[in-house]
Amino acid sequence: MSDLMQTFPIRKIIEHGPGVKSFYFDQTFEVQAGQFINLWIPGVDEKPFSVSHIQDGQIEISVKAYGPFTHRLMQSQPGQLLGIRGPFGHGFTLKDRGLLIGGGIGIAPLRLLARQLHERGLHFVSLLGAVSRHEIIFADEFERLGTCYFTTDDGSKGKKGFVTEDVAAIIETEQIKQVYAAGPEIMFVKLKAILDTLHVPYEFCMERYMKCGIGICGQCVLDDSGIRVCVEGPVLNQDDLQDVTELGMMHRNASGKRSI
Amino acid sequence: MTRFLGLKPDSLLVLASGILGLTASSLKRVIDFGAGAVTTKSFNLEVRKGHKAPSIIPFKNGVLNAVGLSNPGVQEMALEIEKFKKRCDAPLFASVFGRTIEEYGEVIQQLIDRVQPDLIEINVSCPNVRSEFGTPFGDSLDDTARVTEIAKKYAGKIPVSVKLGPHGPGIGRLARVCEDNGADAITAINTVGPGMLIDINVMKPVLSNKTGGVSGPAILPIAVKSVYEVFEHVSIPIIGTGGVTGTEDAIQMILAGATLIGIGTAVYYEGIEVFAKINRGITEYLQKHGRTSIEEIRGKAHE
Repeated sequence: MSDLMQTFPIRKIIEHGPGVKSFYFDQTFEVQAGQFINLWIPGVDEKPFSVSHIQDGQIEISVKAYGPFTHRLMQSQPGQLLGIRGPFGHGFTLKDRGLLIGGGIGIAPLRLLARQLHERGLHFVSLLGAVSRHEIIFADEFERLGTCYFTTDDGSKGKKGFVTEDVAAIIETEQIKQVYAAGPEIMFVKLKAILDTLHVPYEFCMERYMKCGIGICGQCVLDDSGIRVCVEGPVLNQDDLQDVTELGMMHRNASGKRSI
Repeated sequence: MTRFLGLKPDSLLVLASGILGLTASSLKRVIDFGAGAVTTKSFNLEVRKGHKAPSIIPFKNGVLNAVGLSNPGVQEMALEIEKFKKRCDAPLFASVFGRTIEEYGEVIQQLIDRVQPDLIEINVSCPNVRSEFGTPFGDSLDDTARVTEIAKKYAGKIPVSVKLGPHGPGIGRLARVCEDNGADAITAINTVGPGMLIDINVMKPVLSNKTGGVSGPAILPIAVKSVYEVFEHVSIPIIGTGGVTGTEDAIQMILAGATLIGIGTAVYYEGIEVFAKINRGITEYLQKHGRTSIEEIRGKAHE
């Protein structure tokens, strides 16, 4: 692990679906699921990403084409040098009888969590949702590791609808003691309301615009708690989120100005 | 308790500008962790995105940054300052800059029309916007004098501290010019440089801006010497900032002549807990040396 910028060649690139690719690098550090690294494309920009898998001495970062940076990343080739700093922040805590809830590309960090829970013999169930079946990445891997529920907006895989609709029922049926979630923030807002009512502990993997990754720039600090997503997060639990007033509301951009 | 320009902060440690200074929630948390006062991130009239990432990069003995004075503009910052003031009694220092000398006056005017900070810190020494703004005003005695004069004119009753760098015509002479033009305090120093780090595989500078200001342990000796020099040239109080990460560093700043001590990059090395740690350390140092107050040792390295 290193906070300092170091560059490594991309070892391999695999396409997983429309606009989703995995990039492999030699593993030079240990990662807790949910922690993030900063990826630098020299001459372009630097952005935070979660690690989706570790196997055979390589770390895997799974990325969805979304903005200018990720589109550039999609064009990169094996052998190309990218900068990596990290891993940063706090990841998920590994507990028994977990429910992993992933929305869209949020499934990526949960994949490493599923693997780490499995390695420790901890029981878990997955609830994965996306726009369509093509966007539910790594479905077969999750299915190999335990019970899975799926939802899609168009009904092309699993139930038609959103992951949040069946959460309460699944928690009861599967005797869930801990919820882990990664995905769009509106999903967190709905989950928080449900889970606070049910008094089920939860951990959400948060995303914010970040500059430093090392807890000093203040860009990713949450209103009104003052929590830094890059240090105390990105995984925050029900207590951390108690005083957060900006969940699902607005984020700060590069200038620090609030925007939706 | 410390006395500084009529203020009585609970600690002589101040959060330095550019660190955790964007929002009320962030600034308030730093106070909760033991800072006596906080300084906002520098802002001006416009909304600035700053330089692309990487803009903040740690290296072995410090941090190199070229954030590029990103800020949400005076209107949004005034709202955050107002929010902080509602939630917290600790002094808040507003750090401002201008692309032109006149803009310093305008941003102060727009700020104090909305909210009253406890001090206005004038940033004339940011080393990483040269490509856009040219040589910093703080590298010139004349420009520093003019900025100080205009800042004082617009700040009214609110005290003004000018944040200087170790470059240009000499920080002692710069500080004297500030004092002569009405400055109430000097903040010494800003980040040093600019410096550069090059990735040896890609063979290119790491910062998107190529160059940036150096902070952290690497600059402590330069900061201590700068405070020492300013103390010899002026009688207004000094906010000694630069490379302080522990008690011994802070004591050196006091012995060199600082009244308050800025803490910034140390948050990276020691966490926000650094404030409480140094507060305790200073108390222990005074006890160990049979002193009852900081005043007894301030500037003592000059005797």
